[in-house]
Amino acid sequence: MHDIDDIERRGIPAVMIASTPFEDAAQKQADALGLDVARVFVPHPIQDRTDGEMYEMADLVFNKVLDTLTR
Amino acid sequence: MFERSWTDGLPVVPPTTERVRKMLAGTSRSADEIVVSVPPNLIECSVEKIAINAVMAGCKPEFLPVVISALETICTEEFNMHGVLATTMSVGPIFVVNGPIARDIGMNSGINVLGHGNRANSTIGRAVQLVINNVGGGGPGGVDRSTLGHMGKQGFCFSENELSSPWSSLAENRGYNSSQNVITAFTGEGPRLVMDQKSRTPESLIRTLAEHLISTVSSRIVVGMDAMLVLSPEHSARFHEAGWSKERFLEEIAAIMMIDTDNIIAGSGGIEEGLPAEMKGMSLPKFRPDGLLLVQAGGPAGLFSAIIGGWLNGPPGSEPTSKEILL
Amino acid sequence: MTNEKVLLDPTSETAPSERSLSERPENMDGLTVGLLDISKGRGDIFLNRLEEKLSDTGIKVLRFKKPTFTKPAPVDLRHEIATKCDAVIEALAD
Repeated sequence: MHDIDDIERRGIPAVMIASTPFEDAAQKQADALGLDVARVFVPHPIQDRTDGEMYEMADLVFNKVLDTLTR
Repeated sequence: MFERSWTDGLPVVPPTTERVRKMLAGTSRSADEIVVSVPPNLIECSVEKIAINAVMAGCKPEFLPVVISALETICTEEFNMHGVLATTMSVGPIFVVNGPIARDIGMNSGINVLGHGNRANSTIGRAVQLVINNVGGGGPGGVDRSTLGHMGKQGFCFSENELSSPWSSLAENRGYNSSQNVITAFTGEGPRLVMDQKSRTPESLIRTLAEHLISTVSSRIVVGMDAMLVLSPEHSARFHEAGWSKERFLEEIAAIMMIDTDNIIAGSGGIEEGLPAEMKGMSLPKFRPDGLLLVQAGGPAGLFSAIIGGWLNGPPGSEPTSKEILL
Repeated sequence: MTNEKVLLDPTSETAPSERSLSERPENMDGLTVGLLDISKGRGDIFLNRLEEKLSDTGIKVLRFKKPTFTKPAPVDLRHEIATKCDAVIEALAD
């Protein structure tokens, strides 16, 4: 979140992707930073996934990610 | 105060102006001096803010220099308190105090050393955690994402029994001398007992200790995580009496803890967790050099020691960090 | 009221100034997107797929990786990303 905050401060649109259990942590950190950081969440867990499952996950959120970076 | 999320769940001492004034008398530093930038929100924190939280934690004024120095060790790039807070692993900052101040302020290094019942041990670490929560903005369920946590996150601070051991102290191993007051911060889990009541030789006892240390965090992790070993007086004596130096102890235990990677490759033993297949045929140390921190403490009776498992060590995670305590 | 009743505030007493997000482009045509890998397991695979899909739609992609997910990216890396990219995607925290 500090990375996104810093990149946004430099005027570059940025988005972070995390898994769903981190939604409230991201909200708290966004509140603390004073920036409603663009964020997209994918289903948990991540660490035990196959490559195929990771690809499906990327496909699932691809359009949503682009939407956060454009008007 | 609980409803404002100013506490750790236990009652706190109300930080009145008078109590905070008395607390500030415990340090020579001025109340408005900014001493640390507290994660996760990286808030500049004055001595006075620390004193307010130290009152709440139940500290005596003479503990304040230790609390301030504890914060100075963890609010650093190398210790990486933000990462320690945010991890899902069950770790928190653990502090070991060396030097005359530990005795002067009545810290416990004896019976129940890793437990409750001593005011300094119980409140110094607690004050640190209150500062992280209240000033830094990092509390459980917010930035603190620990899946399980452990009771030591309420505040975990103890001192080493330096006087009754011929071995050098943790602080001396880290480059300080015995007259200096030093605090060392380590990122760790709750302690776990190691029992060996039968070994009469150092060669046997060291094997028991190594066997247990190998399983810290995961027996399938090598090099990646540090550990702290709290050696009790009776266990220490096995080595002292046989004339072993601390250096010899650390060398010999490292040699025993060389792991044959074939046994911990993913899929071996029917377990999917493990190292990638390309790491077969290697012999790797359980801990990196200096990755095992040895502290001597505990009550006089009991052939037990304790292991405190660590977290990601070094630059990717948290580096054990020491600082001299400024009075 | 006596001092005994006054409690001092243990918090930072600071409220962040609210900022808004950087202005977004109409679309990504002709822009360069930076993919920042936080160095957590499986994130590289996820980003490989995003890279494929971005490239398929004609968007230029640059890959970056920070040394560890436990710390913010080094300032030099953030600077490099900001000078080379028009937008940034950071993944994958779990």
